Amino acid sequence: MNVKDVKVDLDEMKKFKEENARERLKFIDFWVNYMKTHSDEEWGEQQRILIDSQIGE
Amino acid sequence: MEYDGDKKEIHFDRDLNNLDKFVLDFISLLDNYVLVSGYISIISGRSRATEDVDLLIPQMSFDKFEELWKRIEEKGFECLNTPKIEDAFGMLSEHAIRFARKGKAVPNMEFKMIRKDLERYAFENRIKLFLKDKMFWISPLELQIAYKLFLAADGMDEELIQDKDIEDARHLYKLFEDKINKEEFLSFVNKLNVDKRLRFLE
Repeated sequence: MNVKDVKVDLDEMKKFKEENARERLKFIDFWVNYMKTHSDEEWGEQQRILIDSQIGE
Repeated sequence: MEYDGDKKEIHFDRDLNNLDKFVLDFISLLDNYVLVSGYISIISGRSRATEDVDLLIPQMSFDKFEELWKRIEEKGFECLNTPKIEDAFGMLSEHAIRFARKGKAVPNMEFKMIRKDLERYAFENRIKLFLKDKMFWISPLELQIAYKLFLAADGMDEELIQDKDIEDARHLYKLFEDKINKEEFLSFVNKLNVDKRLRFLE
């Protein structure tokens, strides 16, 4: 497929963007609940892997 | 996680990540400071990293700053704005300056002298946050959550909802919802005129 053949439905993309943002907020609630129901060690290790993958020593 | 409401202390029993280690190395050089903004959400468990950590310090003379500058350099950090201490001190009267480990750009410490009332409040009412036995001074949560709502860019709901500052505010609010002083929180919400953004926390 060529770039000129690609059709973009901006209304559909806008809906996707809004839904994506709502999902991100839902994930924050999920993560906070995860933190409250699991040990600090458990969630902290997952957070450590995420952060250390982006920030070296 | 434990929150001691009387002592106003937060305790997390988790290991340090590389961002925490960077912050600890830097704050070990300071007599007085308060950490503010995004790192408060991250140190409290938010699942994201950052390129900069915001830190406020009380006003200091050039002589005091010179002593600190030497300690900072000896510890392996350098100022990203300028290698000249006189220029750095001059900049501090206008805006923040950044320090990173020598040869690196991120993460960096955004280092700012206290000027505004809100900053002074954050410092004078700072609370202790512990990662195991390591202590960090952080801004009071009531101010921090309201400030994060304020920091979010202006825009329509659909733009605001995906703002990282809104997400940071929501994380802190949901995590400490039953711990924060609601009256104090709403007072800051009012002062910062972000009442309409409260719906992003619910």
